[in-house]
Amino acid sequence: MTDWGLAVRIFSFGLSIVFGSLAILIGAIYAFGKILRVIGKKG
Amino acid sequence: MLDMVLTTGFMHLTVGNLVMWLIGFLFIYLAISKNYEPLLLVPIGFGILIVNLPVTSLMKEGEGLLWIFYHYGLEWEVIPPLIFLGLGAMTDFGPMIANPKTLILGAGAQFGVYVAFFGALILGFTIPEACSIGIIGGADGPTTIFTTVHLAPHLLGTTAVAAYSYMSLIPIIQPPIMRLLTTEKERKIVMKQLRPVSKREKILFPLVTVVVVCLIVPASAPLMAMFMLGNLFKESCVVKRLSDVAANELMNIVTIFLGISIGGTMSVEHFLKPNVILVFIMGLVAFAFSTAAGILLAKIMNIFAREKVNPLIGSAGVSAVPMAARVSQLMGSKADPRNFLLMHAMGPNVAGVIGTVVAAGVFIALAGR
Repeated sequence: MTDWGLAVRIFSFGLSIVFGSLAILIGAIYAFGKILRVIGKKG
Repeated sequence: MLDMVLTTGFMHLTVGNLVMWLIGFLFIYLAISKNYEPLLLVPIGFGILIVNLPVTSLMKEGEGLLWIFYHYGLEWEVIPPLIFLGLGAMTDFGPMIANPKTLILGAGAQFGVYVAFFGALILGFTIPEACSIGIIGGADGPTTIFTTVHLAPHLLGTTAVAAYSYMSLIPIIQPPIMRLLTTEKERKIVMKQLRPVSKREKILFPLVTVVVVCLIVPASAPLMAMFMLGNLFKESCVVKRLSDVAANELMNIVTIFLGISIGGTMSVEHFLKPNVILVFIMGLVAFAFSTAAGILLAKIMNIFAREKVNPLIGSAGVSAVPMAARVSQLMGSKADPRNFLLMHAMGPNVAGVIGTVVAAGVFIALAGR
């Protein structure tokens, strides 16, 4: 018997985590890129 | 004399064995004559052939040669992370760092994974089996193997072969979907040249990514850690020997053991079952939906973005590096010969690898309990 509650949890949690983690990575890339460019200009 | 004859394999041959031999020969034929994923299909095809030779006991638990490769290579989770080490050493994240918003296309292309997951559940597969089938849509062989070994090891041969088969068929599967979902005008969108990415940014990327992803999805750590280590080898430029070994010799050695181990799991009693066809069908569904979702997400991004992206690069969000990106390039240049999409498509392409690893980590964390 399929546990549809678990299946829906895997779907909703999984897709949110995939988008969430990649969104955090996007933020991190922009932030570190900016910091490095500022450091580069000062250097 | 009669006893001697009875101990030979001939006396134990079944029709099933012969069918599996044909499948093995087909794989070897496709690899040699059609050049379909030869690095994998040759050892897989040969593995299928020898594991279906009766009385050889090559997959006998505890003593068979192929079982030893399978047990210590795949069940111990050694081979897929080592392949990721090599992939990391071969991957250039520059295009993705230059245009980070394309990362989201790599996430969108995971949609097919979940469509196939539900499809497999409806067809009667258990949740761990459905996860292993769904992940085929990520178009990432090592991640599919890693997930299946964790959740449904009895499906390993089927899911691995489905994943690698569809990866090699990407130039056939994706273009009709890309044409269907985009207009001529969209396919002609020219994207501006990417900015140069500094060495510092490239070195920092694997360090930041491994911390972020492994904190969010710890179950993805074996693959993600090795992927990023390989990339750090490459980008640091101070361990060229290690980078070269990871990308070449180690990758080649591991590929031999991977192929023959997968072939070894495809014995007649494990492979000739009706549900194998269903796995292949759901794998195709997963690929198609992942392609479509990446393209549609790119179109949605265009509604809000100032600088338009060519929706053709969305389909590269299914991992399959670099084949999916090459298909985007090909379709773009067909619409407008001045269009050069390859580097733009590499962004979602490598983001797709990260997205698939994250999706696999969630599957293992939730369904592997």
